[in-house]
Amino acid sequence: MSILDQRKLIESIHPFELLSATALENLMKKIDIAYYPKETLLISKSLPSIAFYIIIKGSVAEFVDDELHNVYSAGDSFDADALIYEKCESRFVVDEDLICYEIKKEDFLDLMQNKKVQSYFLQDFVTRHQHLKDYAAQSELTPFLMSRVSDMFLHSACVVESDESIYNSLVKMRDAKAHVILLKVNDEYLIVTDTDLREKVLLGGVNVNEEISKIASSRVISIELNDFLFNALLIMTQNSIKRIVVMHKGEIKGVLEQLDLLSYFANHSHLVAVQIDKAKNVDDLKNVQDDLKNLLIILNSKGVKVRYITKLVSTLNIKIYKKVFDMCVGVELRDKCALIVMGSEGREEQTLKTDQDNALIVKDGIDIEDFHMPMVQLNSYLLELGFPVCSGGVMVSNVFWRRDVSGYKSLISSWVTSLNEENLKNLSIFLDAKCVAGNVQLLNELTDHLHYSFHSRDDVLAHIAKAVLNFETPLSLFSSFVLEKNHNNKLDLKKGGIFALVHGVRTLALQYEIKETNTIERIKQLNNQGIIDKNFATELMESFDTLSSIRLKAMLEAKEMKESNLINPKNLQKIQMDLLKDSFKVINKFKKFMIFHFHLNMVG
Amino acid sequence: MFFSLYNNFKKKRNKAKLKDEKFSFLFDEDRSGEYVVIDTETTGLNPQVDEILSIGAVKIKDNKILTSQTFEVYVKNSRAISSKSIEIHRIRPCDVEYAKSSNEAISELLNFIGSRTLVGYYLEFDADMINKYLKPLLGIKLPNKMIEVSELYYDAQIATIPQGHIDLRFDTMLKKYNIPNMGAHNAVNDAVMTAMIFLKLKS
Repeated sequence: MSILDQRKLIESIHPFELLSATALENLMKKIDIAYYPKETLLISKSLPSIAFYIIIKGSVAEFVDDELHNVYSAGDSFDADALIYEKCESRFVVDEDLICYEIKKEDFLDLMQNKKVQSYFLQDFVTRHQHLKDYAAQSELTPFLMSRVSDMFLHSACVVESDESIYNSLVKMRDAKAHVILLKVNDEYLIVTDTDLREKVLLGGVNVNEEISKIASSRVISIELNDFLFNALLIMTQNSIKRIVVMHKGEIKGVLEQLDLLSYFANHSHLVAVQIDKAKNVDDLKNVQDDLKNLLIILNSKGVKVRYITKLVSTLNIKIYKKVFDMCVGVELRDKCALIVMGSEGREEQTLKTDQDNALIVKDGIDIEDFHMPMVQLNSYLLELGFPVCSGGVMVSNVFWRRDVSGYKSLISSWVTSLNEENLKNLSIFLDAKCVAGNVQLLNELTDHLHYSFHSRDDVLAHIAKAVLNFETPLSLFSSFVLEKNHNNKLDLKKGGIFALVHGVRTLALQYEIKETNTIERIKQLNNQGIIDKNFATELMESFDTLSSIRLKAMLEAKEMKESNLINPKNLQKIQMDLLKDSFKVINKFKKFMIFHFHLNMVG
Repeated sequence: MFFSLYNNFKKKRNKAKLKDEKFSFLFDEDRSGEYVVIDTETTGLNPQVDEILSIGAVKIKDNKILTSQTFEVYVKNSRAISSKSIEIHRIRPCDVEYAKSSNEAISELLNFIGSRTLVGYYLEFDADMINKYLKPLLGIKLPNKMIEVSELYYDAQIATIPQGHIDLRFDTMLKKYNIPNMGAHNAVNDAVMTAMIFLKLKS
């Protein structure tokens, strides 16, 4: 290629377009093209970098501790850090015959004299390493420094008039479950703490009918709602106080307790749980919902494995269900029924709110009608809390999903004898049932009955298993993705992989009478029973985790619910893309296993 | 043995004809370890009547194409450039406005290549074209060792498909070795692409 073409190529690579025409001209006179065959080691700890590489053709893999960290291909460049810092923790190996431009080390460092170029590479260094850190260490420090007071659960503040009596103030404080009393005097807030009460009322003899302002001692120490939590901790430590008043635009927003602050860093989820327990009505629970989403985002960005996140979210959701159940069902009825959740909630794999799939099992001999109104109420509360309506009507408000034990037993019997599409769907979600409130024995009885009914019915099981093959894995022969043409060339993760895995494992769980509902737990049990070997089990679990975590990311970013299963592979990082490909390969392997196991090629 | 004797003899006879001692370095033994890939753009394919429009060359050392040291020169022509050849090499009359005289261009080229081994695609043609100007100027032909890329390619391919017909077209070779085709046909461009093929074949 001519000098001009080279220039165009270099110019198209950030940050070289920032160079002036003459600087670029000079640079061009210093660039060589090099060829390296596959598997050439370019840079490593012991092989210092001698040049800055810009790939024309071919690809280079970067390994950190033998783990593939990144893949560079045409148009990519590497590795500024190795040149600037003269050391490199990773290994760069040619993955596919490489033709690349080389800017010699000295020339590259010369280039760094240019402020714009310099700031690019240095800034890039920081952001990239930030990323590395998040990825590798899941550092606790970063979220700690980044969290703001507004991320916290704030106790309600008990604010009283300055001429309120001490006695009445104390009553108000108790009702508000607050720890301090605040009062406004001349545009300034004063605080009455336990110490004031002890020193001045109990020991100092001030009458409880006196005005509260008499015993108020100090001015309030406050912090802005948007301030960093770190600062809150600093202020508390400096002033040796246990709580701090949170202000926003001159108004009191609440009180931040040191105990909560410390436990926030120890365990975010704890606070959400406390809030659910404390909730007195649906509105209180609503506030919790926002926190739940934040919790998700924080945990995900910390790099916590999705299966732990979903487990946590499910646990918290169950708490909400319990709370709502208690609000709607009278004490005398509670142990005469079981509220169950099914589908992804039952499997404890739900992340963001997905459709509610719930049902009620009533003890034999109890009038089902007694539960009609409470269940309609429960359903409407759940809707208020943002649990979306199930389009299939799988909800306690639907009489179909409100039966007594014998009612469910006859339903199960009908599933064994005729498996039309509707029945198969109902069976599938019922297989994932988990009791969240009420009498768990009722569900156990039905699970046993279910296993009993399907025992040795391999013919029926094969029909159930067949659904695994409903959707093609979106991986072509040449290991590239097959995209959904009618969805803007996006990839459907649920259809493409998650469904096959979840449904297949579910069917196997039914066959081997495994009581766990969680996919990971089911896989572990299948491994324990020797149905699948340890290696394959691990592959399945990792694939499931990869697919779920990419899906979670898509869900957090999706604007619409129906879009949330679709991802655009182009937006993925290379490492994620490769993980995704590997996961699909495992899914294909699993499908083959299912075909063989259930003789699916013989089922019409 | 016989060949090297014969070549030595030929080289000596060639050197004896050298008119200008300044260029005796062309006959020195090459110790640079470098190769030079050259390519010429001409008005046509007949060295007898056609003329050189431009010469491009680039050095190779080890696994590197030293594009930092490319050579490119446009040559003044005695006749107007035919429109037919313009379509191929895209050198318009206005491009050769700042061209050098053929003697000047050839001298610069010789200084660039020195006694290095030359590499090219259908190099014989390029050498013939250059010799056409070199002979009257210095009395000699290019004395450098020459490596024909299409020959290397043929050898590499015939080893895999012994009875096969080997397609030696330039574009086929580019594709075969997954070499980026940068489009524009000009002497330096072609030389760089030829160099890439050479590096792949050499390794």
